[in-house]
Amino acid sequence: MSALIIFGLLIALMLTGMPISISLGLTVLTFLFTMTEVPIDTVALKLFTGIEKFEIMAIPFFILAGNFLTHGGVAKRMINFATAMVGHWHGGLGLAGVIACALFAAVSGSSPATVVAIGSVILPAMVAQGFPKQFGAGVITTSGALGILIPPSIVMVMYAVATSGMQVPGPDGQIVDSASVGELFMAGVVPGLMLAGFLAFTTWYRARKFGYPRLAKANFGARWTAFREAIWGLLLIVVVIGGIYTGIFTPTEAAAMSAVYAFIVAVFVYKDMKLKDVPRVLLSSANMSAMLLYIITNAVLFSFLMAHEGIPQALGEWMVNAGLSWWVFLIIVNILLLAAGNFMEPSSIVLIMAPILFPVAVRLGIDPVHFGIMIVVNMEVGMCHPPVGLNLYVASGITRMGITELTVAVWPWLLTMLVFLLLVTYVPAISLFLPHLLGM
Amino acid sequence: EPIVIKFSHVVAPDTPKGKGAAKFEELAEAYTNGAVDVQVYPNSQLYKDKEELEALQLGAVQMLAPSLAKFGPLGVQDFEVFDLPYIFKDYDALHAVTKGEVGKMLLGKLEDKGITGLAYWDNGFKIMSANSPVITPDDFLGLKMRIQSSKVLEAEMNALGAVPQVMAFSEVYQALQTGVVDGTENPPSNMYTQKMNEVQKHATISNHGYLGYAVIVNKQFWDGLPEDVRAGLDKAMAEATDYANGIAKAENEAALEAMKAAGTTEFHEMTEEERATWVEVLTPVHDEMADRIGAETIAAVKAATGG
Amino acid sequence: MLRLLDRAEEILIVWLIALATVIIFVSVVHRYSLGLSADAVAFFRTHEMPALSAAAKTFYFGLRSINLVWAQELCIILFVWMAKFGAAYGVRTGIHVGIDVLINRLAAPKRRFFILFGLCAGALFTGIIATLGTNFVWHMAHASARSPDLELPMWLIYLAIPLGSSLMCFRFLQVAWGFARTGELPHHDHGHVDGIEEEAGIDDLGEAFLSSPLTPRDLVEKPKDE
Ligand code: NA
Ligand code: NA
Repeated sequence: MSALIIFGLLIALMLTGMPISISLGLTVLTFLFTMTEVPIDTVALKLFTGIEKFEIMAIPFFILAGNFLTHGGVAKRMINFATAMVGHWHGGLGLAGVIACALFAAVSGSSPATVVAIGSVILPAMVAQGFPKQFGAGVITTSGALGILIPPSIVMVMYAVATSGMQVPGPDGQIVDSASVGELFMAGVVPGLMLAGFLAFTTWYRARKFGYPRLAKANFGARWTAFREAIWGLLLIVVVIGGIYTGIFTPTEAAAMSAVYAFIVAVFVYKDMKLKDVPRVLLSSANMSAMLLYIITNAVLFSFLMAHEGIPQALGEWMVNAGLSWWVFLIIVNILLLAAGNFMEPSSIVLIMAPILFPVAVRLGIDPVHFGIMIVVNMEVGMCHPPVGLNLYVASGITRMGITELTVAVWPWLLTMLVFLLLVTYVPAISLFLPHLLGM
Repeated sequence: EPIVIKFSHVVAPDTPKGKGAAKFEELAEAYTNGAVDVQVYPNSQLYKDKEELEALQLGAVQMLAPSLAKFGPLGVQDFEVFDLPYIFKDYDALHAVTKGEVGKMLLGKLEDKGITGLAYWDNGFKIMSANSPVITPDDFLGLKMRIQSSKVLEAEMNALGAVPQVMAFSEVYQALQTGVVDGTENPPSNMYTQKMNEVQKHATISNHGYLGYAVIVNKQFWDGLPEDVRAGLDKAMAEATDYANGIAKAENEAALEAMKAAGTTEFHEMTEEERATWVEVLTPVHDEMADRIGAETIAAVKAATGG
Repeated sequence: MLRLLDRAEEILIVWLIALATVIIFVSVVHRYSLGLSADAVAFFRTHEMPALSAAAKTFYFGLRSINLVWAQELCIILFVWMAKFGAAYGVRTGIHVGIDVLINRLAAPKRRFFILFGLCAGALFTGIIATLGTNFVWHMAHASARSPDLELPMWLIYLAIPLGSSLMCFRFLQVAWGFARTGELPHHDHGHVDGIEEEAGIDDLGEAFLSSPLTPRDLVEKPKDE
């Protein structure tokens, strides 16, 4: 009963168009005030302690690093490198776009940022070369989604945060620990590379079929020069992943290090950014981070209400008693998340849904790391389709194409992503192979 | 309508603290003839480690069992005496304090903060672990040792020559595994339930420090209870305390055996001389911290333990 | 006066994010150097170079006397403050996203109503939180709790809640007032990147998000692509 009231109120408030964070907060306030004896001052306490965790601080750091990279000429050099390597194959620049998105995804934690960074440079170049606009838009909108699958990833941090400390019994009654940021990052590597391969294949296949232009093969000298120029950006991949894996720093520290590194590369090495631009980058990073942190605090408040009313436990109980098998549950989760992707952006979806779905998943024997990767891939798909698809809107801004036209343009790649989603959902080994190999 | 007592804690139901809480629930409801309804919320379900004390003071929960290290930041630094290395020789010395007048005196200092202390629950004595042997204080040079926030523990690690590193308990396993930190200190049961023995090659059974909890209630709530109910709860708490302490001791011993059997960690039993060196290096921390904790409190504890 | 508040808000959050980054950077470098110098001690010791080993040891203890145990705690405090004041700044820049799919399909007068309703709800929520937060801080100021590492009074740290929420409440009212008068809303453009578009020959990306259901539309512009 209370679940119905809570969700009814939340959805009604959300549909009025007010910020999601505010609808979450007002739902909690209203319910606590009218239906419980929880001292209302607790809300103020929760609003502070909700983000008082060092793991969460990776988010502002990764956003800051991403902004320095986007403004600092790193994307441009990664594109040049990718073009020199694969530009002469079928698909030419398009293929280079996929690779460049994958490379940029390995230093940035956000998808729209990846679309902007790579798309705004490569799309005009593709059009100039004679590619249809739709083709380029399709490639970049979907490849940009790699931003949250290939580590680092803000959505993975959100998932880890939303489920952290939850101690849920597995099917055999043993307590299963939630997934850590480090594990999720390592788990994202193989699926990320795989999806990049899938998208590259679709690009190559369609380009060959329609006979799109190819570039002249770059000679070794040109490749070497492109590599040398891109090396500072590429090294950041080593700093983040290598640094976490070898234990030089924790994921949050890695995020802070990459922000400092990206600042130095942008301002002192590539010199694409001047010192006087730095405050503006800091301000826009702070703006974006604060928005996400504000959603987090209110989502934490909301999951406190859920826990207080025992809703996740009741849901888990109900699903297990209904004799639900793990694979049916995963279908339901996929449909639920894809549907949610029609209305909300990833952070809110993960923060609201993960704490509710996680206990059920664990009870059905699904690995927390695998579950997290599946959610991330779902979020990627959601970013590429209307009505709410952040990547789509960013690409629309770059290409000046309408959303309807763009939606038609992305379908071959979107279909590829859906096939990949099925694979990730039902082949846990894709996600778990690397973390297990590393003994995590 | 029974009086509801929400008892929130941050560990799993099957730990000594969790079982103690369940025992208290059972006994309290029996001894008050159902006048109270104890609701146990394990696993930080409602309030996390960092917010539970404030939640208690606000009256959002009635009963908690936080670790003793939480009372220093609350403004009662006397409790940091429990963190001092080698202040308790063994369980007898410890219980002389926690079950005696000094323990009661310390709990009394919480009254100002709107908190009534009911009992002390043991976790156990800590052992030192790392990825390299930690047998003499010299071995600690350069080791990054995870501690929970505490000036006393910081001083302890500094005295050993290590680099203290504050880190949340939930992050420790991963940090030990990747090598962000080299070692840590834990009672065997914590080390075992967190599977830290899988990522620590060496451990020394140093029993150098104590980890324990205090069961506390909101003072206003407690004082407002009818006399007979409070008497019933006191009786239930006394029995639950003995029960919880008994389990804690047994679980630490079992955990140590299990970890030895697992064979991933090499456990070193201290010789008398080794222990003497540790004591010599670590006891200066008592004086160093005397101004913080209060020299009288330290003296009172030492007097009670006969040390 | 308002201009001054705007500037102060921006400067504060810029400093908070910059400071947090530098502190974590320094603490990681510090920890790593400690590890290296301890390795040096061990290396010189095993290779029987006592003088060098002693020198490395002196360096190690000198370096360790710089205490950075509090770095994490300070970073968290700075970011919580940044989050609270940044959220207020975000209202001014229109970055807080909602689900506008539905209301963007409504006729202008109804849309106007819902947008105003949303803004007032924002003001109501943040206003309530500011009040609760003030109570809470008042209560904390009478207790003597301190943060574990820096030992700062907790009430001072929690002050971010009433201050940030009050400012946010004010910003919601400000935006609502502006909208009621002119029909214009602040827009945040999630796709905008300074510097890149000029050289790449792309126009301002500003419109990307105007047509996104993530941002409420002004009354003054026509919805596209529907
Ligand atoms: Na990424
Ligand atoms: Na979508």
